[in-house]
Amino acid sequence: MSNSGGYEERDVVVRLTDVRKDFGDYAALDGVSLTIGAGESVAVMGPSGSGKSTLLNMVSGLDRPSGGSVVVGGEDLVGLDEKGLALFRRRRVGMIFQFFNLLDDLPALDNIALSGQLVGLKAPVARKRALELMGELGIADRRNVYPASLSGGERQRVATARALMNRPALLLADEPTGALDSRSGDQVMQLLMDLNRLGQTLLVVTHDPRLAARCARRVVEVADGRIARDSATNSAADAAITGVAEVAR
Amino acid sequence: MSAVRRAARAAVNRRRFQTFVLGVVVMVSSAMAIATLGLLAAVSGPFDRAYDAANGAHVVAEFDSSKVTAAQIDRAAKAPGVEAVAGPYPMAVLHSPSETGDHPIGMSGSFTVVGRDRPDTPVDTLELSAGRWPSGPGEIVLNAPASLGRTEIRSEHQVVTPDGVRLEVVGYAASASRSAGGWVTPDQARALNPASFQMMYRFEDAGSDSALKAGTAAATAGLPSDALTGTGSYLAIKAELAKGPNTYVPFLTVFGVLGLIVSVLIVGNVVSGAVVSGFRHIGVLKALGFTPNQVTAVYLVMVTVPAVIGSALGSVIGGLVGKKLVHQAFFGIFGNDLVIDRAAVPTWVHPVVLLGMPVLVAVSALVPALRARRLPAAVAIGAGGVQRTGRGLAVQRRLGGSRLPRPVSLGLGWPFTRPGRTALTLSTVVLGVMTVTMALGISASVVEFGKLRDRTDRVQVRVDLNNPKWNQPGPVHSDEQLFALLRALPGTAHVSALSVVETRTAGSPDIVRVGVESGDTAAMHPDLVRGRWIEGPNEVVVSSEFWHRHKVSLGDTITLDTSDGPQPQKVVGETTEGWDVTTLDWDRFVLLSPVQRAQSFSVQLTEGTDAQDYATAAAGTDPGLNASVNGASDTVEKVIISVVSTLTLMLVVVSGLGVFNTVLLNTRERRKDLGMLKSIGMTPRQVIAMTVSSVAALGAVGGIIGAPLGMLAHRIVVPLTGRGTGLDLPDSLLQVWSWPTVVLLALSGAVIAALGAYLPSRGAAKAPVAEVLRTE
Repeated sequence: MSNSGGYEERDVVVRLTDVRKDFGDYAALDGVSLTIGAGESVAVMGPSGSGKSTLLNMVSGLDRPSGGSVVVGGEDLVGLDEKGLALFRRRRVGMIFQFFNLLDDLPALDNIALSGQLVGLKAPVARKRALELMGELGIADRRNVYPASLSGGERQRVATARALMNRPALLLADEPTGALDSRSGDQVMQLLMDLNRLGQTLLVVTHDPRLAARCARRVVEVADGRIARDSATNSAADAAITGVAEVAR
Repeated sequence: MSAVRRAARAAVNRRRFQTFVLGVVVMVSSAMAIATLGLLAAVSGPFDRAYDAANGAHVVAEFDSSKVTAAQIDRAAKAPGVEAVAGPYPMAVLHSPSETGDHPIGMSGSFTVVGRDRPDTPVDTLELSAGRWPSGPGEIVLNAPASLGRTEIRSEHQVVTPDGVRLEVVGYAASASRSAGGWVTPDQARALNPASFQMMYRFEDAGSDSALKAGTAAATAGLPSDALTGTGSYLAIKAELAKGPNTYVPFLTVFGVLGLIVSVLIVGNVVSGAVVSGFRHIGVLKALGFTPNQVTAVYLVMVTVPAVIGSALGSVIGGLVGKKLVHQAFFGIFGNDLVIDRAAVPTWVHPVVLLGMPVLVAVSALVPALRARRLPAAVAIGAGGVQRTGRGLAVQRRLGGSRLPRPVSLGLGWPFTRPGRTALTLSTVVLGVMTVTMALGISASVVEFGKLRDRTDRVQVRVDLNNPKWNQPGPVHSDEQLFALLRALPGTAHVSALSVVETRTAGSPDIVRVGVESGDTAAMHPDLVRGRWIEGPNEVVVSSEFWHRHKVSLGDTITLDTSDGPQPQKVVGETTEGWDVTTLDWDRFVLLSPVQRAQSFSVQLTEGTDAQDYATAAAGTDPGLNASVNGASDTVEKVIISVVSTLTLMLVVVSGLGVFNTVLLNTRERRKDLGMLKSIGMTPRQVIAMTVSSVAALGAVGGIIGAPLGMLAHRIVVPLTGRGTGLDLPDSLLQVWSWPTVVLLALSGAVIAALGAYLPSRGAAKAPVAEVLRTE
């Protein structure tokens, strides 16, 4: 496997080609190319300001590149307008955030069902699917509880269920354990690993080597807007994986 | 204190847009408050000030000079309660005087001439607007208000009495008391065979009709009982002059009160929103060591600065708009320089609003600022990011299960999470819709009244005869020939002729305008308010205004000066349109008119006749005719509709700003929610739909409440306006609503809300989401 080839085209979920993102004179991403195949679990690591969040924004369609091409789930995001990007996010990706970003006015069940309703599911159908997901994630008994009354781990599970509601091709997680205590963080890590084992493609942005080691079979290290190492292509990355695996132990 | 100032300046800089919105709201609210307060104050009492300044007579009395002497009248006037007198003066009535010169000098058919040696008497002090006071025989000064612009004295202008006496016009003067049509020297008056003495009184107590009657009785005690032939009260002049303002006062009061309430509500909403959204900042200040008082001071300074700037700008704008409104209101109505000069926004209004609005803002800010002051720093810091709980959750859940598109159902749930803000916004929309409804109703009633008064459903074409004195070709045909010519035109159903003459009732200095008609008169008039149309000689129909002013009833007799001298006329009907008095006694009255013939014809057309074509054809029958389609609204209607529209527009703008502010606050508070929703695939259009729904529902509720309230206000204001102007308005003027209109008005709340919400919604839809989702 390589980041430019080696994948059957039908197995490619993410293909970034020479992506640039400039903020004025500053290049947050500087010619990034990356390919992620179906079922992979990839951790993007790097220091603050390295460009990893910008990379995530490119893949999720929350931001547009200044140059290059971004193809996710077969859709070229560069050619999409705002509405097209919204529809893309709705159908192709699910997102998990560090601070959960749940709607405080809705109980857990409705927070999850919301994603389904946006793609046109009727409320009862969406709620049924949401309840199934809550059952799978072990929080079915919290369905009528509002976010303010949930623990951090429970909130992140609700957020994860919401991200999975529309069966996305790619699950994106941005520091998913960053706001959690270690026990809740472990639960979320286990959840992501389980999802990946079931075939869910996963892209996790994290500072946490433990999370990267436990959840990702491939680690991409970003520095100064470039991919410094990729465990799929060079030994340096393998060493990093070994390192993080040790930390995890 | 410098820390407070610095923190306040930083707060203003950090929230420039919100500060700008606050400034704009205060500016528009101040402008509105000044305009409406100015208008209300200006119409509430200019007459009394102007009348007192001119030493206007409380009572102008007329005595039969064959029954009493001047010395007797003078002696009797030295009674207790009499403050000042002028007179007695010899007074003659000229019937049908003629005039010389190229330009008409505006003489009435029945003309009162009083002999006075000077204009600056203690009662009825005259203001000479042009020329000089008569100094000898053969000279006259005419009564003409300065607003008529009579400044040029021409030697060829002469008044010629029926006996052939020529009086050269040497000046123009204005009498607040309307005591005469002209003044000559006492000697000249005596040479005109005066039949009366004129005596003018000012009383210590002149507040009511009964006080004036008592004063007059005291001042004429001891005189022969039949010597006093008539009196004129200043209250009648006041009632007539107040007609214009009284047209405005009821709806201006409602508009003014609405404007002030809306201003207060919106300022309160904007300011409290600004403070509430700054809770987190308050927490930071406290963490830095600001005392509770300093925190309160920071927020008061933060909102007061834009308020002061806004109210200063609003004061200037309000002054300009108010001045225009006041002049508009007065100029079209009074036509009298007594009041026009004083028709300005009173000076007290500006400082009241300039001080009042920032105080209102500060008080509005004080309530939430005091709440913030009591909050522990940790709680305040968390206020921006910690979960909101507990409000409207059941509603949200129910909406989540509804069949509505999810963005819409989400938006509909928003108002329940901020009930205070929702209540203020709802009130704003209710008042906005109420205003729009009432304004539409008033405008429709005014238009209906215009139709009724102009008889547009009875008279489609008016044919005016040119006055040869105004250098136009006069008609070449006689009245009878013109009747025949018009009747012969295709499309003519009915024709009537009109000549308007000015005369007087016995004992009153007031001029009475008489419409003398002939032809198919019964077919040309709408239904009377009461009574019947004229069927025989010496019968008249009077206007509602005359009816109330002179307190007549059906069957009463009034005595009018005619070319045959005073003639009793029986009142048989009351109408909302027409002149003071309408008569069919052509021969007796038309000779009082300057042209002594018809001045215009009214034509009712058969069904399907084009009025414009007919007017063109009618004008072609005689070069001295000027034909036009009946129905153009007059000055008063235009002024009323213009004033109502201006005030409505201002109120709608302010209401829209209130909604704008609410949506702005909501979207700022929910920027993280919006970011999340966009991240899970909500399209920009859905964001707009959600945000607009959040207030459109409020708007719809506001419309459903506001429209009936507006209709109710219309139902109260229109009759009050009628009463103020001395008109009996038929119920048909209130029936201006149709179902489609009512439904549209009920929806107008949603429209106001959607318009106010659109811009901030677009802003929310376009806002970048990546950053907001990553920060806590």
